Amino acid sequence: MADFFTIAAIIIATNAFICLYRAAMGPTIQDRVLAVNIVGTKTLVVVALVTFIRGSHYFLDVAMVYALLLFVVTVSISRWLETTRLEESGDDR
Amino acid sequence: MIAKVIAVILCSVGTFFFIIGTTGLLRLPDVFTRLHSSTKCDTMGAGSILIGLAVYSGVSWDVLKLLIVLGFLFISSATTGHAIGRSAVKQGIAPWRKEDGEGQ
Repeated sequence: MADFFTIAAIIIATNAFICLYRAAMGPTIQDRVLAVNIVGTKTLVVVALVTFIRGSHYFLDVAMVYALLLFVVTVSISRWLETTRLEESGDDR
Repeated sequence: MIAKVIAVILCSVGTFFFIIGTTGLLRLPDVFTRLHSSTKCDTMGAGSILIGLAVYSGVSWDVLKLLIVLGFLFISSATTGHAIGRSAVKQGIAPWRKEDGEGQ
């Protein structure tokens, strides 16, 4: 069963690295925030899978703290994006 | 035994939806369509995998922790999608249309 979880974790981590392309090359800042949010979600799922791969249950506490951190970071960044007004000039926003 | 089968099925579905979300994030043409695919990735992929792990772990404290993680993930995913979409609309990003502006 640990082998199956290992394969799933490797696939998800590879997907997270592929998502970094959009975070680097995204045309708008919304794309970058979206890609970083997806990378955070995938990291959270990988940490939750590592719990059951290694059988060491304290990793779930790490996953809980990571979920809280992701919640705060994404909500604050998206509220900031929503309320602020970015400059229209320049293509690398 | 049956818990393992359910866990394998749910984790496979979650991994499949993560691959779908990554493909949509890379291939779709617009920030709104990317938002659409990535929220599916959050809800369906992470939800399926975490519920599968909760089924696999049986009755223990791990189930409570996984459900707390799942609740925070659902709240933050919906809030982030809504706020990013609103900020994109406010900033005046034009939605992608078929045939590059001719349709509709």
